[in-house]
Amino acid sequence: MFNFLKRIFADEKKSSRSRANDRLRVVLTHDRIGSSSQLMETLQEEIIALIAKHIEIDGTPEVHFITEGRHTALDISIPLKGR
Amino acid sequence: MEKKNPDSQVIVVTSGKGGVGKTTTVANISTGLAKLGYSVVVMDLDIGLKKLDLILGLENRVIYDIIQVVEGECTLKQALVKDKRFAELYMLPAAQTRNKDDITTEQVQNICNELKPDFDFIFIDCPAGIEQGFRNSIAAADKAIVVTNPEVSAVRDADRIIGMLESANFKDIKLIVNRIRPDMVRSGDMLSIDDLMEHLCIELLGVVPEDSGVVISTNRGEPIILNERSSAAKAFNNIVQRLTGNEIEFMTLEQDTFWSKLKRNMGFKK
Repeated sequence: MFNFLKRIFADEKKSSRSRANDRLRVVLTHDRIGSSSQLMETLQEEIIALIAKHIEIDGTPEVHFITEGRHTALDISIPLKGR
Repeated sequence: MEKKNPDSQVIVVTSGKGGVGKTTTVANISTGLAKLGYSVVVMDLDIGLKKLDLILGLENRVIYDIIQVVEGECTLKQALVKDKRFAELYMLPAAQTRNKDDITTEQVQNICNELKPDFDFIFIDCPAGIEQGFRNSIAAADKAIVVTNPEVSAVRDADRIIGMLESANFKDIKLIVNRIRPDMVRSGDMLSIDDLMEHLCIELLGVVPEDSGVVISTNRGEPIILNERSSAAKAFNNIVQRLTGNEIEFMTLEQDTFWSKLKRNMGFKK
């Protein structure tokens, strides 16, 4: 009975289909711009270093790719320290 | 051969990854169009690894091949193999003992130009990969059909191919999803059509369900589109209709609602 209920209320997030979607999102974004996943860390480090030279940063900046259709943009969010 | 339209469409069928069903797709679509009375020619550019003659059941009729045409050993007309079922369908065979570098993009373009006055549709069966064979295949085409399977590696290769087609200035790129299993999509174990559209972002031309009849028809050398009871045949027929400009609704792979899940798990079929 428990298995039966579990199948009905199965968490979609854990299905192999959603794993496939997650993995494809990452891989296709990197394939399209011709980069490796290492790039994100490098970008994050260098951007922080550059901004921190001029203004004080509060917290950890976030760097993401956002995709719209077949186009990709870089989305950078840097929390700044208020006075 | 008598053309229906003054214009000719040159369509490359490609995928990046091998084994997704390019040749099966080409064989079925071209047969379906010929059945409707269009004059159609299929060029096999998978030189060295030819399959199209087998899938169409024409392997015993092949005399010359495309390499002999470009090397002047025979004329283009002599090399064309007439289909045994439809008078309007022809195949230009690949050479089996040569390789992809034995023909240039210009030579492929010249052959296409020579075929245009006689055919409504010229299909190019592209080899797997992104090397010379791919470049030859897209050189003469003005439209592209990308075939993929609902599977991560096929989708990744399809995405790469779409990128390369866009760089080559293709404006008309359409997607065929082959070998989908609606039951697996519903149970959350296969990428859905919507998932694939989200990743690849190109226009959908058709959805072909997995069908064991394809193996049987390949064994016999008879394209499955001629078997009216098969679900794959219905899907290929819909694609043929769309290629001739008719709007056909996509087959619905029923929605996975709470009740359909409940019924399925309780043993009721759908």
